[in-house]
Amino acid sequence: MTEQPGGSIPEINVEEVERRAEEAGVDYEVQLESLNQWQLAWRKFRKHRLALIGLGILIVLVAAALIGPIISPFVFNNVPKPDVAVYAGRGPSLTHPFGETGGLQRDVLQLVVNGARTSLLIGFSSMAIGVIIGTIIGSLAGYVGGFADNVLMRIVDVMLSLPLLFVILVASRFFGNGNVLLIIVIFGVFSWMGIARLVRSLFLSIREREFVEAAKAVGVRDRRIIFRHILPNAISPIVVSASLIVAANIIGEAFVSFLGFGVNPIYPTWGNVLTNALTFIPVGNWWWPFFPGLAIIMTVLAVNFIGDGLRDALDPRSRA
Amino acid sequence: MTETIEVRRVGSPPPAEVLLDVRNLRTTFHVMDGDVPAVDGVSFDLKRGQSLGIVGESGSGKSVTALTIMRLLDIPPAEISGESEIWFDGKELLGMPIDEVRKIRGNDMAMIFQEPLTSLNPVFTIGDQIAEQVELHLKVKKKEAWQRAIESLKLVGIPSPERRVKQYPHEMSGGMRQRVMIAMALSCEPKLLIADEPTTALDVTIQAQILELLKTIQERTDSALLLITHDLGVVAEMVQNVVVMYAGQVVERGSVNEVLIGPRAPYTMGLIESIPTVDKRGGRLSVIKGTVPSPFNLPPACRFEPRCPYAWDLCRTVAPELYETDHVGQLARCHLHTPAGESRRKAAIETHEDAMDVGRGMSPRA
Amino acid sequence: MTKYVIRRVIQAIPVLFGITIVVYSILLAAPGGPTAKFANNPRVTLADREAFKKSWGLDQPIPVQYCRWLGVCNPDGQGLGVFIGPTGWPNFLPEALSGAKNGMSHGDFGVSVTSGEPVGARIIRAALPTVILAGFALIIWISIAIVIGVYAAVRRYSFFDQAATIFAYVGYAMPTFWLGIMLIYLFSGPGLNILPAGGMTTTRLSPPFGSDEYWVYFGTKPIEALLDVGRHLILPVFTLVVVNIAGDSRFVRASMLEALSQDYVRTAKAKGLPGRTVTFKHALRNALLPVVTNIGLEIPFLFTGAIVTETIFSWPGVGKLTIDATRDFDYPTLMGVLLVTSVVVVFANLIADVTYAFVDPRIKY
Repeated sequence: MTEQPGGSIPEINVEEVERRAEEAGVDYEVQLESLNQWQLAWRKFRKHRLALIGLGILIVLVAAALIGPIISPFVFNNVPKPDVAVYAGRGPSLTHPFGETGGLQRDVLQLVVNGARTSLLIGFSSMAIGVIIGTIIGSLAGYVGGFADNVLMRIVDVMLSLPLLFVILVASRFFGNGNVLLIIVIFGVFSWMGIARLVRSLFLSIREREFVEAAKAVGVRDRRIIFRHILPNAISPIVVSASLIVAANIIGEAFVSFLGFGVNPIYPTWGNVLTNALTFIPVGNWWWPFFPGLAIIMTVLAVNFIGDGLRDALDPRSRA
Repeated sequence: MTETIEVRRVGSPPPAEVLLDVRNLRTTFHVMDGDVPAVDGVSFDLKRGQSLGIVGESGSGKSVTALTIMRLLDIPPAEISGESEIWFDGKELLGMPIDEVRKIRGNDMAMIFQEPLTSLNPVFTIGDQIAEQVELHLKVKKKEAWQRAIESLKLVGIPSPERRVKQYPHEMSGGMRQRVMIAMALSCEPKLLIADEPTTALDVTIQAQILELLKTIQERTDSALLLITHDLGVVAEMVQNVVVMYAGQVVERGSVNEVLIGPRAPYTMGLIESIPTVDKRGGRLSVIKGTVPSPFNLPPACRFEPRCPYAWDLCRTVAPELYETDHVGQLARCHLHTPAGESRRKAAIETHEDAMDVGRGMSPRA
Repeated sequence: MTKYVIRRVIQAIPVLFGITIVVYSILLAAPGGPTAKFANNPRVTLADREAFKKSWGLDQPIPVQYCRWLGVCNPDGQGLGVFIGPTGWPNFLPEALSGAKNGMSHGDFGVSVTSGEPVGARIIRAALPTVILAGFALIIWISIAIVIGVYAAVRRYSFFDQAATIFAYVGYAMPTFWLGIMLIYLFSGPGLNILPAGGMTTTRLSPPFGSDEYWVYFGTKPIEALLDVGRHLILPVFTLVVVNIAGDSRFVRASMLEALSQDYVRTAKAKGLPGRTVTFKHALRNALLPVVTNIGLEIPFLFTGAIVTETIFSWPGVGKLTIDATRDFDYPTLMGVLLVTSVVVVFANLIADVTYAFVDPRIKY
């Protein structure tokens, strides 16, 4: 126990004022101790059955992507000698559970596992780029306001009016060169608009709330207000948008690469491994497109479930 | 649908002069955190053409009582006990098929809600919304229904009703909207008008106008009025009888004059003492200490016991019932009115009277 | 109302302007540029390339090129006169006034570098199949989505509602091109083989859709021609419907739940109205307001969203045109397609806003 400084005028303690300000807006503000907050979030997340299933699926996929290519008995670039008699490929069997493709007779499981690496990498990295750009631009627009806000939001309007799939397709073809990194950047720079709008609107609404005004009144700096008071409130909606971006970009990349405008086939993705699959459909080769597509569906479902779970877990207003 | 209720055994109908007879009403909400006994054994009656007020804090169950009478609660999450009965105009409502209830709703029994803005449909004109009800219940042609809508609007004092009838709710002020709600409720000349906090959402000056309107109309049309409010002042102005509710139960009931001037339940006493009046200027405003108990964690016996200045051992062990008091026809849920509480009763009543007198003594008018 | 529409149109102008800049920049920054296709041709000399550039105005400074492309500048003008058209009026005005006919503002999108056709004509020709495909799909999926969404909301947490939720999750997660491929396997593969795998018409029966011969054929055997197109429509429409119902049915459900929880629904019940009047008049009317806006925002889909489906099913529409042009580095066609589709998006947004203002009496202008 410390002694009370009886009678003396207490100094203004920024932390203390912030704490009180936060209590005033308690239903909006996150807990002070971040450890507790994450523990709380995890507790809520665990109760979300679908989110746990999603997390499980994603862990399996990531593990397969990381370890699969190493332990697999087949080498991706090792093209077996095509057997003319089975030109149409072979259906699922014990040695090739997902079957073999027509033409080059590659193992489909191998394609799925190898494709997971690049597809997941592209989905998550491009999302990260989009979220970072979107958060920066949204924060700028929402916090600075005025002319900057106007210009930035008109840019968002313009970007959202473009037929994005067309633009991404053209950009991948013209600038992508089949390079994974460039494709990630292209998907990233066309994924930030939703986040920017969201962050901006959160800034506009939160900026006016009492706890931010209280923090301003005692002279807390802008940067601190943004990072300490406003952004934590934006995490939950950003996470949900981010999960949608991952899903959209994995599907988008698969399509662009399927057309042959995306990633170079020497880096397999769930899209470019299907480039020739349509040709073999008339001879009944369903397993070739089926399994990589199933992998995409599972991933997108998993990411959406996790997004839903995180939204509930990170929302300080929801109770476990 | 979930709106029908299983066949129930019912008692005998009340005498003909009783319009509404609520007997042992129990409404429980099954929610995620447990069961909430929102209304717990509430009984009262209302005679034709008379007026009754239900007073209580938010959460006391007064609105749920009204919604139960109108059969407007979703079942589940709500559940109405099989032993409850609601008699209206000689018919039991709780066991009635929902189609029959619909013939009564809006026709013989109409309700006015608290929020006139959200309670009116924003995408239809007010004429549409009133005429729809008239067409349905009075079986008249559209044109006639509209004419009647205009008359109703005129009745509630809306200027140029012919023009207003074609307007949308958002084009009117809050007071006007509440007048529209009242006009809508009156359009089929109901026998019972239920008003759930009709003035809470309005400005003070408008509140008085709306209350005045309700009172005149109730007197003029001979309909009975069930007024739900948290405001004892409104009750004093508006109704003949009053039911005071606390934590889902009736704690006191009787005529307005007797209950307000001579309350017999400690909760009502506290409620009356806490009203700021001009008379009490300069005096100390008393408050009921503590807060309303959580519905998940009610006190075991008397629900007001933790906040009651007169509580003793008995109040913690035996739940009080509604007992007769020294005023004829006035009932109070308090052990003070049992032989065991006899010695404390006088003291309690005197303390209350002193509290009110102290206030009066300070007043220059006294 | 008129004022509101005018204000909304004026707001759209800077966006349209921004779109032209973005589209122009993308293609300007593209490697190689329009002369790339000659780069490896030994018979095209440097002088030839310069002459080509000059004839296309590619030797001018970029802002001038952009202005000409836009139709604001007169290619024949000098100094400040570049902004003045042949008749002395500003160049960007319609041809009847200014006498100018160059650039986007006069509907001149240039000439395809692969086929030599005017880009405008190509886009118009591709637009009809796209509108047929996406239009059918849009009408079907929106109707189904409204029915599913409303029913799921009214019977919340019922078996139907939960099945609809699962369907929505899976439908959302399904890549369109994958669904298309699997449908082709199921219905045109070696097993069933009852529906055509692609195209818009049966090659051995009719000339290619949209050609002059086709319309002659159409004139002689209209029912046969319609049935043929109809058969080809089934799989691509089904694909579009399945992947798009998911999101929209959720949207309708959420909107309907929101409406059902409102006070005015309780008022409607308190008036004694029958359940279906409460649901389908009072709640649905309100629930459909946001849905109307959403439909407006989906109209651009008529042009862009079918790109995947068109590719899989070789549907000769705008999507296929875009992909072919991308493959061939056909700059003028790409610029035209991007610009036209963006303008469609802007106008669809505008129409959505105006419609919303029209159907919701609360909107003040």
